[in-house]
Amino acid sequence: MQVDFTARELTVKLVYYGPALSGKTTNLQAVHELVSEDSKGRLMTLETRDDRTLFFDLLPLTFNSKSGLKVRVKLFTVPGQVIHSATRRLVLQGADGIAFIADSQRSETKANQVAFLDMQKNLRDNGLDPAKTPLVIQFNKRDLPDIRTDVELDALAKRGREPVYKAVAVRGTGVLETLIGLLERSWAQLETEHGLEEKFGLVPEEVLAEVRRQLGAVETEEGPQ
Amino acid sequence: MSEGLDLNLGDIDGLEQVIDREALAEVCRSFFDLFGISIRVFSRTGALLSDVHEEQAVCRYVNTLSEGRRACGTTVTEVKHIGATDGVVVHPCFTGANYRVVPIEYHSRHVGRFVIGPYLPAERTEIPKTLLTVDPNIDADKAIAALGDMPRVREETALRIAHHLRNIVDLILFSSHRAHLTSEMHVASVRESYRELAEKNDALQSAYNRLKELDQLKSNFLATVSHELRTPLTSIIGYSEMLTSGIAGDLNEEQNEFVQTIHDKGDHLLSLIASLLDASKLEQGQLTLNRVPLDAGQLIRSVVTTIIPNAKKKGIAVESQVEEGVPTVIGDSIRIHQILQNLADNALKFTTKGGTIILGARATEMMDDDGGGFGAVLMAASKPAVEFRIEDTGMGIAQDQVERIFDAFYQVDGSSTREHGGAGLGLSIVKRLIEAHGGSIRIESSVGVGTTFFVTIPEAPDTFDL
Repeated sequence: MQVDFTARELTVKLVYYGPALSGKTTNLQAVHELVSEDSKGRLMTLETRDDRTLFFDLLPLTFNSKSGLKVRVKLFTVPGQVIHSATRRLVLQGADGIAFIADSQRSETKANQVAFLDMQKNLRDNGLDPAKTPLVIQFNKRDLPDIRTDVELDALAKRGREPVYKAVAVRGTGVLETLIGLLERSWAQLETEHGLEEKFGLVPEEVLAEVRRQLGAVETEEGPQ
Repeated sequence: MSEGLDLNLGDIDGLEQVIDREALAEVCRSFFDLFGISIRVFSRTGALLSDVHEEQAVCRYVNTLSEGRRACGTTVTEVKHIGATDGVVVHPCFTGANYRVVPIEYHSRHVGRFVIGPYLPAERTEIPKTLLTVDPNIDADKAIAALGDMPRVREETALRIAHHLRNIVDLILFSSHRAHLTSEMHVASVRESYRELAEKNDALQSAYNRLKELDQLKSNFLATVSHELRTPLTSIIGYSEMLTSGIAGDLNEEQNEFVQTIHDKGDHLLSLIASLLDASKLEQGQLTLNRVPLDAGQLIRSVVTTIIPNAKKKGIAVESQVEEGVPTVIGDSIRIHQILQNLADNALKFTTKGGTIILGARATEMMDDDGGGFGAVLMAASKPAVEFRIEDTGMGIAQDQVERIFDAFYQVDGSSTREHGGAGLGLSIVKRLIEAHGGSIRIESSVGVGTTFFVTIPEAPDTFDL
């Protein structure tokens, strides 16, 4: 998180992490599609010729708050391929929250685990405590055959501490829910660490309500899976 | 709170940080060519980044008047001080012209602004009083005529022009920002990879150092243990010799046989210990060679003589093939003999009944650097040498084992129930002894057919001076 007092803005960094081809960039593209024109900037993609992410994707979002402070949220993705470990570590620096995009296909279970361990290692290498880093998990590609079933995922979600979201990023399903869920968790952590309400008059509920409104997400009672 | 690359990664502080000034100047120039309206681009801090303008006739005229000049200065200052948070501002000039000040935002941050104008709004039909009263000495006709030369644009069009320009600047900014981030990431990634590699290198280096230390410890241990073992063993051999020679009284046949066995096994153990000592001495570079001229044919014949009794017992034929004109070798007689004896014993060990062992020697040449180095064709000097050949029709060695058989303690058959005994030191010692003589060893082997060892020893080592 960064606060610029002269520009009256607060910047939060959220990172989409996960194995290669799990749909991190697709998530950002979907968010870009769904979010209203006023809130979003251009989606920047640094990709190779084969459309794989080379360094990262960057989607800036901006929200106004009642306190007058501008809340800027920067969504980054990391390159999934194993060889880009150094880049992933760089992008992960100073992350305020992470959405781990897992591939629902059974065949990718191992790849998900490897990426998750890699993430933990990179967090530690960056001096961040994985246990204290706000994290949500998204199981993407729910539309594909031979995936881990809803029953399985629900059972797993109950065992874990992190909220689990199900998504079909190519259709935009579950994408905003994941982002809002991540923002909620990240904001709660920032509030605990920096006392944003007391310092800047940023009331968490108000900020998140405004974010939901500007993201065009309908507020529901239903939480994550 | 975080700091460093991650935040610069997504943000730029001002236009000038990423934008190419030449490209910006070109855009401004083409804008001016198209609409005839002056344009200036400022950074966030107010520095002028691009300026394409043409002084208007009316401006030129009012600047000739003292009050007119002052009023003009005031207008320019006001335009310059329009703030970032004021949004798009249309600032009127006393001449009736307008300036349009448009902030440039990127990622919802103010990064600079551009000013277009002065232009005369097409909607304006009257000559403003502010122009005609700006200076007591103004010539109304001249002023009106000069104002007629000013470019006229409808406000709605000016709005569209400004919007269009903002889109172009935004595009340039986006591309420049992307290129900027890419290059920053390239550098950062390379630096990060370098750091990672450096760390791994350090770890490898310290592991290597540790291994070297352990190797040294092992050699010391071998030397000490071998030495300590040899002392009591010498007594065992000595006393068993005395017993068999009858010093302590006559032994019956069975006793004599038992004592002889003790003596033989003691001798065998002593030779194993001698191997260990040799190995550790060679590893530590402590072995000294007593070099003298040696007759290669004589060496071969002597080894053949020693193996013939055992070969006969196993039903193996032994041949010696020493060619004419084999030169004299300068070497340590005991060590060269040890090399050939060891290889011959090996051949005998792995050859079965009905097989043949051939020991040969011939004149050859050898290159200084094995003949394969960079520029070896030109640089390597050849020198006369003797090639000893120990050929058998034994079980042979598989290709993937060939490289390893010279490692200390290595056995092709590493199982505890292996057929052939030995400490696995023989070939490692052989190789080191050959190297100590400046020579080389190579193997040709095929499984089930047999193995040939070629030992090449230079006629005289480089450092040897008779």
